Amino acid sequence: MSIWLGVAALVLVALVFLWIPLRRTAGGKRWPVFGLLGGLPALTVGLYLYLGAPEIIEAQALIKAQSQYDADAMLTALENKLKKEPEDAEGWYALGRAYIAMQRIPDAEAALSKAFQLAPREARMLSQYAEALALTSGSLEGRPLELVLQALELDYGEEKALELAGLAAYQRGDWAQSLHFWRRLMKRLPKESELYEDIGQAVKIAEGKAAEASGLGDRARLEAPEKVKKPH
Amino acid sequence: MIPELGHVALILAMQLALIQGVLGLVGAARGNARWMAMARGAVAGQSLFVLLGFAALVWAFSVNDFSVMNVADHSSRRLPVAFRLTAAWGSHEGSFLLWTTIMAGWTLAVVFFSRRLPADMVARVVGIMGLLSFCFLAFILFTSNPFMRLHPPPADGGDLNPLLQDPGMILHPPLLYMGYVGFSVAFAFANAALLSGRLDEVWARWVRPWTLVAWIFLTLGIMVGSWWAYYELGWGGWWFWDPTENASLMPWLAGTALLHSLMVTDKQGNFRVWAVFLAIGAFSLSLLGTFLVRSGVLSSVHAFAQDPARGTFILVILALVIGGSLLLFAWRARAVKGGGDFDLVSRETAILTGNVLLLAALGAVMLGTLYPLILDALGLGKISVGAPYFNLVFVPMMVPVLLLLGIAPHMGWKRAKLAELVVALRWHALFALLLAMVIPFALGQFKWQAALGAGLAGWIVATTIGSLVSRGRRGEALPLGALGMGLAHVGVAISIIGMSFVSAYESERGVVMARGDKTTLGGYEFIFHGASEVPASNYSAMRGALSVSLDGREIATLAPEKRIYVSSRMTMTEAAIRYGFTGDVYVALGEPMADGAWSVQLHIKPYVGWIWAGALFMALGGGLAAIGLRTRRMQA
Repeated sequence: MSIWLGVAALVLVALVFLWIPLRRTAGGKRWPVFGLLGGLPALTVGLYLYLGAPEIIEAQALIKAQSQYDADAMLTALENKLKKEPEDAEGWYALGRAYIAMQRIPDAEAALSKAFQLAPREARMLSQYAEALALTSGSLEGRPLELVLQALELDYGEEKALELAGLAAYQRGDWAQSLHFWRRLMKRLPKESELYEDIGQAVKIAEGKAAEASGLGDRARLEAPEKVKKPH
Repeated sequence: MIPELGHVALILAMQLALIQGVLGLVGAARGNARWMAMARGAVAGQSLFVLLGFAALVWAFSVNDFSVMNVADHSSRRLPVAFRLTAAWGSHEGSFLLWTTIMAGWTLAVVFFSRRLPADMVARVVGIMGLLSFCFLAFILFTSNPFMRLHPPPADGGDLNPLLQDPGMILHPPLLYMGYVGFSVAFAFANAALLSGRLDEVWARWVRPWTLVAWIFLTLGIMVGSWWAYYELGWGGWWFWDPTENASLMPWLAGTALLHSLMVTDKQGNFRVWAVFLAIGAFSLSLLGTFLVRSGVLSSVHAFAQDPARGTFILVILALVIGGSLLLFAWRARAVKGGGDFDLVSRETAILTGNVLLLAALGAVMLGTLYPLILDALGLGKISVGAPYFNLVFVPMMVPVLLLLGIAPHMGWKRAKLAELVVALRWHALFALLLAMVIPFALGQFKWQAALGAGLAGWIVATTIGSLVSRGRRGEALPLGALGMGLAHVGVAISIIGMSFVSAYESERGVVMARGDKTTLGGYEFIFHGASEVPASNYSAMRGALSVSLDGREIATLAPEKRIYVSSRMTMTEAAIRYGFTGDVYVALGEPMADGAWSVQLHIKPYVGWIWAGALFMALGGGLAAIGLRTRRMQA
């Protein structure tokens, strides 16, 4: 919808508010009122052109369409490529990650399962497949954790594996172990990345839990951030 | 798209406000029913479009549309969603849009509730309010536009001022603005009466409920603001005589005077010109308060705007509104015939004296607030006028007001006998004196503030209840208005107890505490258990833990915080408070020291909560009185 259609609709509504009392009352000349009703749309458009930024809508739509088009186009290209070359583990891995980003979890699981079968000695493939499985089942325990631990055996610095191993330990209440994995992960992440900050916060919570569990800070009870309440 | 449509909605609202103003006033002057009807239609349209504009801004905040400059400057992805919504009025632009939205709401309410009033009166009132709305909408669109766009948009915003990331800030501005803008109704009625020359008791009957409701909101707004300053600024004070606070106190004092003189006009027909003057004054002071806080002439906690163009624009609005209405007042007020006579000793005199004293106190506050600004503007140097000045001039003027507050309900209209009054109130006075002498010793130590506070509070409570009881004994019915008056006056007494006791008996102490350290203050024992880091979405906090014991029994564990906000790198102190009936225990973290030790500020604040409880009683009393007026009008 063009912005001008919206402007026209709003002006029309404004005119209705003036038109109804005009129709309901009798007497007096009407022409000054009609002048007023005619002036309103013109002045609105004029003021909006002066104050507003109608061009921004198209500019923004363009940016959005481009990025959307790029993502869709790349995904389609990748899917087509994999139809021709189904033995490409790297391709299935990339496709699976793209599906996860788009919340298409069952598709992701299928694609990453192929990647894992094609390259079962590649730590990345194992831990990414583990994440897809965990997202499907809602839990890291069982098969996903097995895959994560296998991935760590293959490469003890694999980032996704460290993240998931730390999370699994945290969910079990094994604070010391989760700290071990996450601190190791933080050393490998770029400091300005969003993941670095998120993991950093998780580490702080785990540290608090660890201190609490050890009885050192039984007064300074700590809660997860989403539960933090103000003192008042 | 939605911000742009919001922008168009505001442009339409501005034009409809002008139509509402011109057709309302000219239609009333010419007796043109069609134009007056169209002015009412314009009110509905204007309200709808202002609301659409406001909703569009809130929507932009809620979806993190950083292409809207206002969102990019005052919000961020890390900001919790509740504060993202309230950030919509945390900025200068947004707060004016909130003001205008509330103004539209009041106008709509006037049209809705005034269907039984003469059409030309309503048209004039609506017309004046329309011109006011037009001024504010023009101000928003041309100098403080919340819908300025950024292209390309930034990836994240600059975050909301941490001071405003607080539930108190969600409530404070809307309540305060409801009060400020509510006085515009009394203002519009006053000007409409001057224009039409019809200024009688009926006029006061129309204006009273509106003034009362606005006054209730202003009282609550000031209360929340004061409470917010108490817990959020971390200094433990509840009133700082800061210009932004004075800006809200001045209209409150004028509004309080207005309420009481309108009552006299309604019941006795006197004080009509005086009430019109106060109605103009209360709203003018609301505008002045807005100008002071929003133009950037102050550099204080809420004065974020720093743009001379805006200041000039508001000054012009101020000059037009205040100057115009005062000119009208000077021109037309003479035509008003005076009311009946009253004696020197009468309820009218008591209320008038109270009114004049309130205005004198207002003048003192205004002088203390504006004098430094005027000196600064004239290049005569910077001075600051602080609490010592205000306490010295304000308190002595309020004491007689409070004494009169007790006497007036016992006095007859038109004439009262001094001798009878003395006899009637001798026990009340004795009771107050007794309280003044006994209570300070009961609290441990004689302090003059406590004696004064206890005496005044005792006087007010005794005389207020006494007046209701003697009315009952005479077999008079007790209308809601009288009960509301009683409740509000008792609220004043409660607030006085809080103010005087806390200033007499508060104690504070700054200490450095390491984990396990103990210290005592005012009979309480504090043990510090160290501080640990607690992350949150948009800040990181060090949270301390202190246990508080009284007589060897642990009564609370307090968790004060020191926060560092991620985007602004601002440090905030979140005090931890144990609220209590007889006083609060207030703890704030200072600075971290070596080896996990912290400097800690401890405060004991006896009876401080009574200050706000009293304000709540005043508002409740006002509410009862407003319901009383409404039912009386329905029956009439």
